[in-house]
Amino acid sequence: MSVQQATLQSLKAGRRALWRQRLAENWRVFRGNLLGKIGLSLLVMFGLMAGLSYIPPLIDPMYHPMTGVDPLVVKSTGPSLTHWLGTDFMGRDILSQLLAGARVAFMVGVSAAFMSVVLGTAVGMTAGYLGKTTDTLLMRLADMIMVLPTLLVVLMLAALFGQLSIWMIVLMIALFRWPGVSRVIRAQTLSLKQRPFIDAARVAGASHTRIIFRHIMPNVLPLAFLYMTFRVTSAIVIEAGLAFLGFGDPGTVSWGMMLQWVWKTGHMFTAPYWLLPPGICISLITLSFYMLGRAMDEVLDPRLRDETQAG
Amino acid sequence: MSQSHKDILKLEGVSKFYRTRGNRYRRGGGTVVALSRVNLSLRPGEIFGLVGESGSGKTTAGRLVVRLEEPDEGRITLDGVDITHLKGGGLRDYRRKVQMVFQDPYQSLNPQMTIADAVAEPLITNKVGDPADRLERVLGVLDTAGLSPAEDFIYRFPHQLSGGQRQRVAIARAIVLEPSLLVADEPTSMLDASYSAQIFEILQGVRDQMGATIIFITHSMAAARYLCDRIAVIYHGHLVEQGPAEAVINSPSHPYTKALIDATPKFGRCEGVPTYGTYLPAPRPAGEQAGCPFFQRCALAERLLCSATYPEWRQVAGEQVCLCHFAAEGGQSPPPPEECRLGG
Repeated sequence: MSVQQATLQSLKAGRRALWRQRLAENWRVFRGNLLGKIGLSLLVMFGLMAGLSYIPPLIDPMYHPMTGVDPLVVKSTGPSLTHWLGTDFMGRDILSQLLAGARVAFMVGVSAAFMSVVLGTAVGMTAGYLGKTTDTLLMRLADMIMVLPTLLVVLMLAALFGQLSIWMIVLMIALFRWPGVSRVIRAQTLSLKQRPFIDAARVAGASHTRIIFRHIMPNVLPLAFLYMTFRVTSAIVIEAGLAFLGFGDPGTVSWGMMLQWVWKTGHMFTAPYWLLPPGICISLITLSFYMLGRAMDEVLDPRLRDETQAG
Repeated sequence: MSQSHKDILKLEGVSKFYRTRGNRYRRGGGTVVALSRVNLSLRPGEIFGLVGESGSGKTTAGRLVVRLEEPDEGRITLDGVDITHLKGGGLRDYRRKVQMVFQDPYQSLNPQMTIADAVAEPLITNKVGDPADRLERVLGVLDTAGLSPAEDFIYRFPHQLSGGQRQRVAIARAIVLEPSLLVADEPTSMLDASYSAQIFEILQGVRDQMGATIIFITHSMAAARYLCDRIAVIYHGHLVEQGPAEAVINSPSHPYTKALIDATPKFGRCEGVPTYGTYLPAPRPAGEQAGCPFFQRCALAERLLCSATYPEWRQVAGEQVCLCHFAAEGGQSPPPPEECRLGG
């Protein structure tokens, strides 16, 4: 028995080693990708910004991005020693707003993308695996949602129900952005379902649940994960758009919100220190998620790899 | 038929049709006959060959036996129990006894599963033993399938193995439950010839050590001759000849069997040996027809008889039977010279 237990232990250890080896291999491919490296470094930078956003309010309450007002400042001022990026129209620190905006962008982007990918994957796998009427119903629903212009519909909903909280916006984005994911996952499920290893699993006595979760899901998850990085981009852009148009959550400081304040208070052409940082940040964070996605694409699909690096 | 009570598996009048769907432009669907009224019985512990060309229905027969598909007509029994339309728990119990090795080892293993998990899967789904127990069985069965030391293989993924090794894993997975019946669907057609012989040996070992009955599906007469005790030749969904492997291949009786043997490449001293010349290069008819299924392509066919009347089974010699109007007892061809026979 102890010999058996020992072998079992070594099997577990071997399995862990195998996963480490796999991760290392994927990391090697990822590192060979310039876009991926740039994207990841930018994201690390934004991640640091988000982390640092908790510090300014601790130094002095006047650095609180929402409520902190510098009593010595009555109008928007340019960069100075006390306010590295300047202040907005009522004397709030732009740098601390920018840092808080990074936190909101990550929160909105990742959670909306995660929700829409979970929903899309579940729907796609169900439709693809069950087929027939279920497939038709779910996919027609997906088509209907897909043709709705997300921003416009969310705008109308915001106009109907008044100001939406940030989590309502996240939920809305997730609910409108899953169909793209579900179509891709469904197509992948359909092709996987025809592969002989599914037949082999059936012959081995696997139940439908086991086939879905042990055989199909591990094979679609990399794809779902890839789509998540692209969905983050679109979620951030939609949130920024909403906030800029004045339908964001008034209780949070997002980059879109900062742009709205610049525009609303007429500083569009007079305060570049206020206009540029959030604009650049929105562009860079979406770009970096996109670059990360492209690099992941290459990690997951060996056909996209540079031939000279193969082997 | 006298010892039918000893048969392990019986197919009685089994047919399988595939309906092709019509569309807006090509109105109405057709029916493709994959298997037509097939009768077969397997004796315990034999290796039974099912030989035929591509699309002859041999794989369909295998899929029906493991119940990946349900027959449209007829009855399949295992040990006298009707399994034709089993569902749910009954089907799960049945699959403990009947396993399958698939044709393409590159496709029949989940790329995301380690070898240990893949081979243990039948044990897990059938709730056999605890993890330590299962591991021991997995190691044992990998050893039987010729993957040793088995400990080196269990942590790998399928893409880290060669084709031959993958097929051994697939065999290990199929025999881990110690099934009484194993369906091997062209297990060597994707492999190099050198691997094939090893796979054959493993299958023979499975039969000898576990006492499993094996249905060996192949397009290769030589492989069938090498491995099988009895073979059945299948053409376009119809069985046309059946008998001991030795007899059917060395002295075939049905024109189609002869055509298959003619089609096998021959080398060296055998180049001058006359062929049977029973094959007419005509297209294979798409639908079902009244007469002999091989009629259009048969050089011996007599139009009036063969196109209109479905032939009857005739005994040729001993257990060798043939579905042809012109087959007669003792009417099989004489065997070719020793050195030109197929297989070894």
